Amino acid sequence: MDLLGKSVLDLKQLISKKEISADELFKYFHKRIINHDQKLKAFITVLNYEKNNNDGELSGIPISLKDNYSTKKIRTTASAKVLDNYIPPYNATVTQKLLDAGICLQGKTNMDAWAHGSSTETSDYGATRNPWDINRAPGGSSGGAAAAVSAYLSPAAIGSETAGSIRLPAAWSGVIGLKPTYGRVSRYGVIAMGSSFDCPGPITLTVEDAALILKVIAGHDKYDATTSPIAVDDYQTEIKKPRQHMSIGIADEYFEGLEDSLKQKISDSIKVLEKLGHKIKKISLIPPKYAISVYTILQRAEVSSNLSRYDGIRYANDRTYFGAEAKRRIMLGTYTLSYGYYDAFYKKAQKVRTLIIEDFNRAFKDVDVIVAPTTPITALKLGEFEKYPFFGEVMDILNEPAAVAGIPAISIPAGLDKNNLPVGLQIMGKHFDEKTILNLAYQFEKETDFFGVIKRGVKNYE
Amino acid sequence: MKKTELTKEEIIHLAKLAGLNLTAEEIVKYQQQFSETLDYINNLNELNTESVKPTSQTVDLSNVCFEDGEQNKRQLSINEVLTNTSSKTADNFKVNRIQ
Amino acid sequence: MNRKYQPVIGLEIHVELKTKSKMFCQCKADYFNEKPNSNTCPVCLGLPGALPVPNKKAIDWTILIGKALNCTINNQSKFDRKHYFYPDLPKGYQISQYDEPIASKGKFRVQNLEFRITRVHLEEDTAKLIHAGNDTLVNFNRSGVPLVEIVTEPDFDNSDDVKKFLEELQVIIRYLGVSDADMERGTMRLEPNISVKLKVKNEKLRVDDLPKYKVEVKNINSFRFVKQAIDYEIIRQIELLEKGETPKQETRGFDEKKVITYSQRSKEEAHDYRYFPEPDIPPMTFDGQYLDKIFRQIPELPQAKIQRYVKDFKIKEQDAFIITRIPTLAVFFESVIPNLKSQTCLPARQVSKLNLKIQNYEQNLANIIINKKISTNLSPSEFTQKVLSLSKPKKTNLKLLDTLINRLIEVNQKTVEDYKKGKQNALMFLVGQVMKEMKGKADAKIVIERLRIKLH
Repeated sequence: MDLLGKSVLDLKQLISKKEISADELFKYFHKRIINHDQKLKAFITVLNYEKNNNDGELSGIPISLKDNYSTKKIRTTASAKVLDNYIPPYNATVTQKLLDAGICLQGKTNMDAWAHGSSTETSDYGATRNPWDINRAPGGSSGGAAAAVSAYLSPAAIGSETAGSIRLPAAWSGVIGLKPTYGRVSRYGVIAMGSSFDCPGPITLTVEDAALILKVIAGHDKYDATTSPIAVDDYQTEIKKPRQHMSIGIADEYFEGLEDSLKQKISDSIKVLEKLGHKIKKISLIPPKYAISVYTILQRAEVSSNLSRYDGIRYANDRTYFGAEAKRRIMLGTYTLSYGYYDAFYKKAQKVRTLIIEDFNRAFKDVDVIVAPTTPITALKLGEFEKYPFFGEVMDILNEPAAVAGIPAISIPAGLDKNNLPVGLQIMGKHFDEKTILNLAYQFEKETDFFGVIKRGVKNYE
Repeated sequence: MKKTELTKEEIIHLAKLAGLNLTAEEIVKYQQQFSETLDYINNLNELNTESVKPTSQTVDLSNVCFEDGEQNKRQLSINEVLTNTSSKTADNFKVNRIQ
Repeated sequence: MNRKYQPVIGLEIHVELKTKSKMFCQCKADYFNEKPNSNTCPVCLGLPGALPVPNKKAIDWTILIGKALNCTINNQSKFDRKHYFYPDLPKGYQISQYDEPIASKGKFRVQNLEFRITRVHLEEDTAKLIHAGNDTLVNFNRSGVPLVEIVTEPDFDNSDDVKKFLEELQVIIRYLGVSDADMERGTMRLEPNISVKLKVKNEKLRVDDLPKYKVEVKNINSFRFVKQAIDYEIIRQIELLEKGETPKQETRGFDEKKVITYSQRSKEEAHDYRYFPEPDIPPMTFDGQYLDKIFRQIPELPQAKIQRYVKDFKIKEQDAFIITRIPTLAVFFESVIPNLKSQTCLPARQVSKLNLKIQNYEQNLANIIINKKISTNLSPSEFTQKVLSLSKPKKTNLKLLDTLINRLIEVNQKTVEDYKKGKQNALMFLVGQVMKEMKGKADAKIVIERLRIKLH
């Protein structure tokens, strides 16, 4: 049986029809990891098959988790040497929900250490490679997860996004990445980076897979006070509803400085949406460069705070084990919170955050979704990130506004650029309106099959 | 373009507040990098926020709490608590004596 | 009292709440006698990924304390992170409150004095450190227990007032039932801030012209030591000022054996706590309806109770003060009174018109309780029996008594059955009936004896 490239939905069918067993399926992917991961370095920890007796929406499906998800009795490092030997005594809520749904945990994937980065190059355990070109970065910080799915080492993976950490690697690695609304999915047990930004989310090969996984992991959690009590939609049903004449917002501010062939692919994709009967509307949004500043200040302040607990007393190595990027962010965060500077930086950033939220609210009165490129350029060569003092934040310029506002966004492949590297298109929606952005993404998928990008990417690893 | 520079002493003070040990090279490197970052984020001053309220959270929630006396389903055994460190006695975490 | 100098003292008091659960997780808040580190979870241990969710009761009880101290309960409140590194602080920050505390701007009357309360806020307690040789051991059982911080304005100028204030505050906290408020066990902690300034002629007692330094004193474990520590510190500071020196702004410890304060070898820099709003916890808003519901939980507080006792029971104010120091004692006192009433067989109105020295049984009762003549460990009716037996023996017509008893037993069969079933109150009822018929001319002790014999 040729399993290559089969979606989670496909695999579910095979399992329920008993055409393959859970451990056979697990072994299939496990073998692929053994064969390809030496080169790709997508995984930090690879696990052996363990039967999961739970019968749920994802019974028998192998899934990998980014290494910032606490997994009970399984090493969790956030790709940081500080946590080199840390073994959590509890499961994150997302981990537990997936296990309750029947998944077979394949392992933990590589990331930028502490999620501080946009290329997975700051992992304390070495960079993950982009499956499309192993001399390039897969994007980050969920680079391991995106690479694993792109090369079909995992049929689906769970990543996390603070500002771009799901969307950017999905774009650079040619797969689908969904950042849900902040508060849609519980952060309990996810090693905290930016507390008011962090969103767990799926990285998949099909839109329906993303819809299914989102439904499993979303929902109110009594252990996370920032989760919403708003009911979780049946996303799988919602994406198939025939929704026509959506109003799609395009803002010129998100199209500046794009590489030409990337810009072309985005243009082509927008034409597809028009062809599907949707209306393109020109809107104006606050230039994303301000979101960079807001995000840099607030995120680094929260990072400096969230990393205070690593004193080496109860667990982990001491603070001398922090890498350069972590130290840099802690320092800036400490500065912007320190006496005399709080008003000028932190408080000011919070106020501009309000402006950005109001800006989106205004726009969404006129349009249903907003479409833009996910990144201004495609995958960079390894090592280039060092040229920038706040590289991550600059790479994610187009992702930060949605992250700052807490709205949901999905990145889908929109073709290849002149270097045959994947281009990502993102669809942003209103708070808790994942069903609409998923629906439009699903329509796009049905119409274009993502211009064959995903299939081609998987085939590279036959 | 105005350059915001931190002095060496300021960097050292920050490092202390942040619980970090920096090498001499790191101090110099951070001085420079800080400058670049601070200059960029100062662009926020181009926006008027006079009558704007700050946002702490994007979820519109308030009064989230739990009922006192709820069953504790997350209690850890002493073993689980002490398992991730080697600096301990049979029951306690151990550090160098604090004055 | 020094003629030249005036002490300026403010207090910072911490009260550990006796909720069932900790402040941000479901671990037990009662950590005494638990094996070290046996009472924790990912939240109070500060594990990576753990998140706090606040305990509703802790918030409500903070509102209660604020209201009892006549504070304004703020409509909006939130938690903030307070950053510093210390082994007893697992997250490297304490979740506390900074600029939007639950309650603020209150005042507290103690006898004839009034002291201003700056704020009342809610936070979490730290772990416990135990020094052992070259090591310090850390036990996280206490980490995360709810802690209420009460800060006063620097309105005190002597240690006696401070002691009175603390004692009254302790009683109030116990009346509210929110904490044991025990200095020795650490459920009530005090850190006074002490400075001294020159007295100025005709200066009002409270002027905002504060000295440019203040000394914080820690590690004081009883009210007695509070007085000693403050007195010592005032003298120490005056001596320095007389020499032309300004006392150093610092934190000092208190040595109860030597009865001195000493400099703690901690860092002298002012703390930069880098407060910012706790992103993991949504803010709190309290509307009028919600607050009213909570305020209704406030019992009659000691000061009001004292006034009522003096007015309604006509007992001496100092006796009312003593009885009201312990909430359960006041309850006991009031529950015995109706029992006694039914024994004197005279309507209450009449009692008050009579000579109080003889007939004021409430005052007699107060005397008995205060002088500990009878243990209060008894039920109210048992206690009443003992009281009656202490009262002056009256000449009793035994023949009349027996006749009466026989008749009453016949007429009150149900009550007799109840007594035989073990209901002590039934006996007292019969005693009351007897006394009524005898028009009080009987020795209660004898009545009870005879009744008991007849009933068997």
